[in-house]
Amino acid sequence: MSRRRIGLALAAASFAWGFATSLAHATEISFWTWRQEDKAAYNELFADFTKANPDIHVKFESFPDENYPTIVSTALAGGKGGDVIHTHAYGWLEQFVKAGYFEPLDMATVPSLANQPADALVSGTYRADKKVYSLPFASQTLGLFINKDVFAKAGLTPPTTWDEFITVSKALKEKGIYPLANGMGTSWFNEMFVAIFTNPFLGPDFVSDLTSGKTTFKDPRYVAALGKLLELRPYMPDGFEGIDYETAGQLFLSGKAAMLAGGSFDIATYRSQNPAINMDFVAPPMAKAGDTPQATKFFDGGYAVNSKSASKEAALKLVNWMGTKEFGDKFSALLGNISPIKGVVIKDELLSHVAKLNETAMPHINVVYFRFEKPTGSELLQGDITKMMSGSITPDQLAADLTDGLAKWYKPFQGK
Amino acid sequence: MRDRGETIGNGAIQLLLAVNAVIMIYPLFVMVASSFKTNAEIFSSPLSLPTHFSTANLEKVWTETNFVRYLANSVGITAASVALILMFSTLAGYAIARYRFRLSSLVLMFFLSGMTVPLKLAIIPLFIQLDTLGLVDSYLGLVLVYVAMGIPSAVFIMTGFLRTLPRELEESARMDGASELRIMWSIMLPLARPALVIVAIQNAVPIWNDFFFPLVLITSDNLKTLPQGLTVFVGEFTTDWGVLFTGLTLAALPITVLYIVLSKQFISGITQGAVK
Amino acid sequence: MTEGWRHTAKPFAWRRSLWIAALLTPALLVMVLFVLWPLLSAFRFAFYEFNGLRPSGFIGLENFRQVLFEKPYSDWTWNAFKHNVIAFLALMLFENGTAFLIAFALLKALPGHRVHQVIVFLPVVLSAVIVGFLWKLFLHPLFGLVNQLLGLVGIGAIPWLGNEHTALGSILFANIWHWLGFPALVLLAGMQRISKDVLEAARLDGAGDLALMTKIVWPLIAPSVTIVTILTFIGSFNWFEIPYVMAGLTGSPGGSTDVLGLYFYRTAFGSTTTGIQDFGQGSALAVLMFVFVAGVTAIALRYLRRREIEQ
Repeated sequence: MSRRRIGLALAAASFAWGFATSLAHATEISFWTWRQEDKAAYNELFADFTKANPDIHVKFESFPDENYPTIVSTALAGGKGGDVIHTHAYGWLEQFVKAGYFEPLDMATVPSLANQPADALVSGTYRADKKVYSLPFASQTLGLFINKDVFAKAGLTPPTTWDEFITVSKALKEKGIYPLANGMGTSWFNEMFVAIFTNPFLGPDFVSDLTSGKTTFKDPRYVAALGKLLELRPYMPDGFEGIDYETAGQLFLSGKAAMLAGGSFDIATYRSQNPAINMDFVAPPMAKAGDTPQATKFFDGGYAVNSKSASKEAALKLVNWMGTKEFGDKFSALLGNISPIKGVVIKDELLSHVAKLNETAMPHINVVYFRFEKPTGSELLQGDITKMMSGSITPDQLAADLTDGLAKWYKPFQGK
Repeated sequence: MRDRGETIGNGAIQLLLAVNAVIMIYPLFVMVASSFKTNAEIFSSPLSLPTHFSTANLEKVWTETNFVRYLANSVGITAASVALILMFSTLAGYAIARYRFRLSSLVLMFFLSGMTVPLKLAIIPLFIQLDTLGLVDSYLGLVLVYVAMGIPSAVFIMTGFLRTLPRELEESARMDGASELRIMWSIMLPLARPALVIVAIQNAVPIWNDFFFPLVLITSDNLKTLPQGLTVFVGEFTTDWGVLFTGLTLAALPITVLYIVLSKQFISGITQGAVK
Repeated sequence: MTEGWRHTAKPFAWRRSLWIAALLTPALLVMVLFVLWPLLSAFRFAFYEFNGLRPSGFIGLENFRQVLFEKPYSDWTWNAFKHNVIAFLALMLFENGTAFLIAFALLKALPGHRVHQVIVFLPVVLSAVIVGFLWKLFLHPLFGLVNQLLGLVGIGAIPWLGNEHTALGSILFANIWHWLGFPALVLLAGMQRISKDVLEAARLDGAGDLALMTKIVWPLIAPSVTIVTILTFIGSFNWFEIPYVMAGLTGSPGGSTDVLGLYFYRTAFGSTTTGIQDFGQGSALAVLMFVFVAGVTAIALRYLRRREIEQ
């Protein structure tokens, strides 16, 4: 009996606890994000905001990346969720907008929209009504990390063309260094890996042919570019099929590998993990000497206002502030991300170098154009690429799977 | 001749059990040992014992995560859920086992059908339902979901057990003019203790270990449970294996200790649900 | 006479019904609110098209047609289903087979058997999250325990979880490590119920361990085998936690570890990096899984129980 009583007492105590924590300030709004690791930086930014708007406090709430869609969609379906919500861009955003979960942003409520360049705004715009629902927060650049010390010690120069890449890689491998740190163990990154190394072979013409309906992924240019990926295999670590993106980062940071295909979003992380690292971030190898260097660029996501928010005005105020140069400067400095806001000054040398790469960068094709409906280009590509890299399907098959899958909803591919 | 054969047979059996014990224990041993190592030590010499017992990982888990809070939440949620499951299922089981009424077999069937249902598949409407009741992101909401999941098998076990109790006790008490409530509370239920222990353990273990429902239903960090907290934690420290092993060790510790102390009850609790 | 009886019995019967209702209400209420209603709603969602995240119209069996017959969804469904079947067969053979051997070994009650009983059951009480992460670290191609041990005998780095030929097997291994104690002790409980006289008689007839195991014990534990088989079946087709932790939502690499549980979750909720969620298609999958598992379980139970009686 007494054990039971203890149980009941615990139950009562735990409910009381629950009620206590649900009490909140009237002026407190919450910010939901998957960027758990950015907590300190955002809290610093929000402190600045509260200094300017003393009646509004912002609470940072973060969730595991993998479950973020589940948590956000179930919460929004129930009319709950954060007041300001960090969203991914393009198709991810669109499904929420369709359901009416987000508040449209316009010049009256969010004047700082004027600070955004046009291509950034596209990432937060709903294709059907052309309204902006999410204020873009960062552009991400995909390219090649170079460990300069490893290259210096090996007496080699970082490659700029594909042929140089292969020659340099052979030399590195002979010295017992993994030329390229990447593996295929993290499916979301595999898609970026494909974009990084294929884009220089595809070029802007392919993208315009593809988006204007002149060609599909079955195009020989695309198949040939995929074929190039197979040439990378000897220069990746032993058991590369199972090496995930985190491990690849560790191999690169520890100097066991000389290069790493990666994203500008990790510059800050790598620096904090190894402050002594002497690294560069460059465009991936060009098809041939004299080409324009082509990194890959996309907009990651943005800040949206929950249409069921109890303090919508405060939420809009916050989002507007997140579009100002004041926010952008500090955001870029604290998080090492490139803010799209016009006039933002990037002091960091490496980051400003990345911003320069952006000027000639290619779009991340799948993310920008093929994530709007099911099946998404991403799920098709992510499913097939590991098979291709382990040799169980050919580039031709991958290209066909991708095209046929997308033809379900992407009209220009139908019947091709 | 036969003795010799038996010795060989017994030797083979002991060998089988010994090999199995090594496979079961060695990974856990490595997990604990690694929690005292630095990251570099794990990568360079994963098989050796830690050269010096560093508590740096432990400090990191302690200071940089909400570990204690997650632990307290798990204890509270598990205890509350199990208490309610015991209460509700005993009452219902008592009604079905000790009284004859028209719908009794139908009611039992209803509870039993709940045993085959994977509630995970209904997570979307479940969330909306809890939200209508204002119970999303609260202890009570999560507890009620666990209670709903636990009730079917608990009612099954309690009904089965209560049926085996002799009728005579009840009848003579009734003759003496005891109320139904009194008969249930002071005469029948004390006899049901062994079944209550089984139901408690059978439910406590999966509730303690669950991470799916908190993942969807709990969003505030200070309400998170231990397994859920662990997934957050792993996301934050993916590359620091020393800290990861420490987190895994700490998360496994409470239930392991409890299990070793109460192993008999645990084993019968978990297997009897299936054997009955 | 009858009039009088009714007169006195009625208030009593009424009070009795109220008492029974009061006993049943809390449990029934919780079940209706949090199991029955959500399940019925989930079934209903399966017949609706979802535009964005809200139902936009009744479409009959369209969602079912898509997941079963329309490429690429049908490929993904059957691919996942195939892995569930493989998991079931592998667990029956390796997990329950080993469990049977261990149960028989424990039945002999040789010195130390109680300790072994506690040891084999220890992983069962741990959370799948802990077990999954632990084995994920151990199976790491470069720094993991398994490859380091294999390295001692000269076997090179194997990407256990990264290669499509080894990934599912590796996850099944972790699952067997986690659950082995459960069937072992359920089967042991079955064996302990065999009467001592039967075993003694067989021994006196000169039966060795092997004959005892195959001729006497195996046929007599049919009820326990039925239970273990059914639970393995249900477990294999609702498999989610360990694949989720070890292979991620997409069943990497390349869908080689995808199972229906993951595919359902991914379809209903999407994932950050592949996009779009579809509650309608997800609910259709949920309904199919439920019908399949419940249907096969019911048929198998009937068949296996009949076999028990014949025995």
